[in-house]
Amino acid sequence: MNITAQNIRRSFGAHEILKGVDISSRPGEFVGLIGPNGSGKSTLLKCIYRILKPDAGQIFLDQCDLSRLTVRESARKMGVVAQHNQYNFDFTVKDIVLMGRAPHKKPLDRDNAADYAIVRKSLEKTGMSAFADRSFSTLSGGEQQRVILARALAQQTPCLILDEPTNHLDITHQIQLMKIVKELKLSVIAAIHDLNIAAMFCDRIYGIKGGKIVGEGTPENLLTPEFIREVYGVETEIVHDRHGQMHILFTGL
Amino acid sequence: MKEKRLKAPGFTVVLINLASGLVLSILVSVTFGNADISIKNVYQVIICQISGRQWFTEFSSGAVHDVVWLIRLPRVLMAAAVGMGLSVCGCVMQAVVKNPLADPYVLGVSSGAYLGASAAVILGLGAVLGSNSMGIMAFAGAILASFAVMAISGIGGFQSAARLVLSGMAISTICSAFANFLIYIANDRDAITQISYWSMGSLAPSDWDNMPVTLIIMILGTAIFWTQYRNLDLMLLGDETAVTLGTDLRRSRIAYMLLTAFMVGFAVCCAGMIGFVGLIIPHAMRMVFGTGHKHLIPLCALTGGIFLIWADVACRIILDYAELPIGILISLIGAPCFIYLMIRSAFGGGRK
Repeated sequence: MNITAQNIRRSFGAHEILKGVDISSRPGEFVGLIGPNGSGKSTLLKCIYRILKPDAGQIFLDQCDLSRLTVRESARKMGVVAQHNQYNFDFTVKDIVLMGRAPHKKPLDRDNAADYAIVRKSLEKTGMSAFADRSFSTLSGGEQQRVILARALAQQTPCLILDEPTNHLDITHQIQLMKIVKELKLSVIAAIHDLNIAAMFCDRIYGIKGGKIVGEGTPENLLTPEFIREVYGVETEIVHDRHGQMHILFTGL
Repeated sequence: MKEKRLKAPGFTVVLINLASGLVLSILVSVTFGNADISIKNVYQVIICQISGRQWFTEFSSGAVHDVVWLIRLPRVLMAAAVGMGLSVCGCVMQAVVKNPLADPYVLGVSSGAYLGASAAVILGLGAVLGSNSMGIMAFAGAILASFAVMAISGIGGFQSAARLVLSGMAISTICSAFANFLIYIANDRDAITQISYWSMGSLAPSDWDNMPVTLIIMILGTAIFWTQYRNLDLMLLGDETAVTLGTDLRRSRIAYMLLTAFMVGFAVCCAGMIGFVGLIIPHAMRMVFGTGHKHLIPLCALTGGIFLIWADVACRIILDYAELPIGILISLIGAPCFIYLMIRSAFGGGRK
């Protein structure tokens, strides 16, 4: 699915966070969004997944204007994995994943065998089958994020939005989660903190700073020491390992 | 929290057991009371009334008939209705405000109803609003209080447990202060007795006029909330997550608050202040059967009904010479449970 955001503006009070942002993604493409804290990448994603309303600009899912869709319709087109998922009440893993079926249900519909099959499959894809009957709050951070990913998969959407999903996860679980997402071959837009993780998994990256897009391209083309200095203000060296994968070394401020 | 939860077939079995438990409780509890009536006579009266035939003519009227048919049975059914309504409302409230320590009482709704009912008695609104003035005013008070609490705690925006509990307390305090003010100014002994008796909670005023209405409202309310189980689950995940799962909960939240206020208003009007039922029953059910509202709502309804029936029986027989107000009994059991829950949640209690 094509996601296109055009000239998105959003302010909080007098402070303009997004100053006219354009991004787009093509079907099956893994698009990364990088930028320092407060650059507006989360705000942009929140506009796309409808937690925030943009002050100006339009967002299209394929040809549909997002603001004309009901939240139910848009939840059938995009699933969301956000950074923080903590609940005051204790659900089982299965219950949480089953909630991913909600956008496909009318108010009086019952959960049927097909829904349970989808839940089972989603848990399989994220490697969480063994945890189906566990209570969510007893899981580790990495396991919890995989459950939330399974819930997004249960929505069966062609596109997935990841809003810094690997924050607070150790490196094993960061890579594990991104790898699962990558193998799904969905259209993905992900805000990513870690530049090396972004370089490993993204097909294309947007750099965002001060509420504006400051660069766009493949990891190899975009992530140059000059660009990183401009966006983050740190000195770097780019090296390649024996598999040809690029790595960013931080050498100082 | 327990790791083991009942599976779907197990749930059906539990539900059937609880439903028969409720019916059995109703049938058994009508045989308890201060008047010495044999079990056989009790059922003869009921069968006689329900069948409409005159098999046991000596029971179709007279003292025994009156005690069983006009006093005990409506009271037992009222206990079931109020217990059902309060525990379902408690369960829904906890979802609506996303706070495990919420119940209608904590959020000031009952106090609002209390103020309304006091105003009705003391200001003599019966002349304006008709015979059910207390009910109408209790209902209005409940709705106003619930909206005040919602407004203060910042619906949709920043909403924390502390803010909700505090705004609930504030509204409760304001409402009881106003009620006390009215009572003090009025200086009407009859009204004072009526209100203080009513505030301690009692199912004694139940009769065939107010019971069927309340029972129908509670059953309908429970049924409506049961159909909303998916939204109630989503509410616990928070509004943002709910939007990403295709549901905008702002409207349903207001609708649920309204319906809850409606049910609690009726419960308070018919039975006075009975706190803690809405807190203990949902939590007990969650501990055993998990958080999903598909199971939770019917379980709460049935267990709440059974619980209040037996609490009322205890009130009737615990003292030899008089009847203990049910609000007192439940608070005596309920407050320690509440403290236990608070301590438990401070320790984690399955949450982080």
